[in-house]
Amino acid sequence: MSFLFILFVFVSISYSNGISVDAGLTPAEDRWIFRTQFRYLSLSSMAMDHQKIGMYTIPVILAYGLKSNLSLLVRQPVIRRNISIVGASSAESGFGDLFIMGKFKVFRRNHENYTLGLAATLGIEVPTGSDGFSSETWDLQPGLYFSWRRGSLGSDVSMTYTLNGFADKGQNNMNPGNELAFDWAVSYQFGLGERSMTSLAPVIEVSYRDLSPDRLNLRDIENSGGSLLFFSPGMKFTLSSLILEILVQIPVVQNRNGVQIERNATWLFGMRYMF
Amino acid sequence: MEKMKLNIKSNFGLFITIVICIAFLGSCLSQKTKPAFASPKGLETRVYQVLGMDCPGCHGGVEKLINKIPGVFDSKANWKKKQIVVRIQKEGEVSDESIFEAIRRANFTPGKRKN
Repeated sequence: MSFLFILFVFVSISYSNGISVDAGLTPAEDRWIFRTQFRYLSLSSMAMDHQKIGMYTIPVILAYGLKSNLSLLVRQPVIRRNISIVGASSAESGFGDLFIMGKFKVFRRNHENYTLGLAATLGIEVPTGSDGFSSETWDLQPGLYFSWRRGSLGSDVSMTYTLNGFADKGQNNMNPGNELAFDWAVSYQFGLGERSMTSLAPVIEVSYRDLSPDRLNLRDIENSGGSLLFFSPGMKFTLSSLILEILVQIPVVQNRNGVQIERNATWLFGMRYMF
Repeated sequence: MEKMKLNIKSNFGLFITIVICIAFLGSCLSQKTKPAFASPKGLETRVYQVLGMDCPGCHGGVEKLINKIPGVFDSKANWKKKQIVVRIQKEGEVSDESIFEAIRRANFTPGKRKN
């Protein structure tokens, strides 16, 4: 049961944001954005059979600006995890659930000295993942993204609420808990070169996650849910249409209900290519 | 633990390989072929103010839309200067309004024409 629980937790935590810069600024019409990341996350629990888990996730994302005020995004994660329990270890790979999202520009103001943008999103996660890598539920995710730029300084705020299993139940007839996610990023951009075709931007992100407990037969599951707070320093390097990112998400507060696996730092290497 | 380290290395290597392949493919696909008859001498150069560009990554979106306008030879945006330089074929009739519209579709705001 604890093993099954860990697998389920994997699915729900593996896609937490990172480098959420630019989120409130919708892409140009007819603009393609290819984005991928390499994430490495390790988890451990001394209480649960000395389990140690290493997980790499490679989400592959394709976004397209359908109109100047509407863009569409599709994300397909590829996941590999290594589980070690009391000396014995195993490794598995598979596809995570497909995520489809529409982003709508609510407001954008391009002033000579600053830029403001507000975007609303609606995403749905479809249970298309491989066995053991899928949440097995349809998950709905509305969100709000806000971006602000002034000179070289930028700040982004995003808030999403994921209704896990909004229309069905998950593994073992369980109702997975919903998740509130809040991210705040601040960056400072240094233009490099004569035409500033290259830029380097140190980034600091603060992320908060609040997970409701999972429910079984209308009762909360004791060892589930809780809240997490991350502090994430990173760097964003832009070379014309290519963006390279590196970020480390450090969990600073982990308020977990009951006995749960402990989350260690997540390393994130990412790239975006726009065409 | 050794095995895990090896796995990280091999997966990260695969990730880097995919990234390089995609970047190369993308740059090949985004290459714009120009008509052979258009020589730089026969071009009119216009400079437009563009508000809202905040990084070099913004250039491509607005350049792509402006380059699609019939009569436009090419364009080069500069986020630091908040402007775009548009080269137009002399025989082409390109209105300022069509350039402004392309800037708006890129989610930026057109400012003044500078020349």
